[in-house]
Amino acid sequence: MKIQTTRFGEIEIPDEHVYLFPAGLLGFPDSIRYGVLDNPGGGPFQWMQSADEPRLAFVICDPRTFLEDYKVAITAEDLSEIDLEDMEAGVVMVILNVPPNDPKKMTANLLGPLVFNPAASKAKQIVLMQGDFSTRHPVFGEDAEGEGA
Amino acid sequence: MLVLTRAINDAIMIGDNIEIVVVSVKGDKVRIGIKAPGSVKVFRKEIYEEIREANLAASSGDVPQDALSELGAKLKGGQRRGGGAPESGGE
Repeated sequence: MKIQTTRFGEIEIPDEHVYLFPAGLLGFPDSIRYGVLDNPGGGPFQWMQSADEPRLAFVICDPRTFLEDYKVAITAEDLSEIDLEDMEAGVVMVILNVPPNDPKKMTANLLGPLVFNPAASKAKQIVLMQGDFSTRHPVFGEDAEGEGA
Repeated sequence: MLVLTRAINDAIMIGDNIEIVVVSVKGDKVRIGIKAPGSVKVFRKEIYEEIREANLAASSGDVPQDALSELGAKLKGGQRRGGGAPESGGE
């Protein structure tokens, strides 16, 4: 489908890469369809662009690229909302907050990950009960200042 | 909203499976015990607010795309290109 975006202009996203978030995201209940596209410059980052609000886009990433042992406990009820029977068939991503002036200080929201069901093109933001996870986990460590942090 | 008066050790049932007990009251703090099946998520309401704020913060920035590509190269699987759908990193 064609999506109008502020950042990328008009883009064409294959229908199967347009995900329905039946409940939206917390804070954005009215935006329920998001197209997922690779960062144009490459790398592990992807963009989740709202198909309902041209200005709304998030940078997302597979959390295991920076936190290998990140494991989430997701209830059957959460899974059923996106027609996912088995977590093995789902994909977990996290939203990144990238400061425009200091991208190296980017943080990841580990407490509210996104679970995608690629087979059904549905996804959901999960509110985890695992209270030890932060909404502002530094992707490159606390001391991400100079090169090679 | 339904409002009930309860004393210490009194309980409230929500449905057949969820039990809320008043454990203790000290000043303006109330300790509450909750028994619920594993399928029911229980957390402080602040958690929702925290995630909502994190979403708002993450949506507002004007992210420089070239910096993203540079930084991505430092992560595991950073050289990966293409795909278009959410996929897992390196399996």
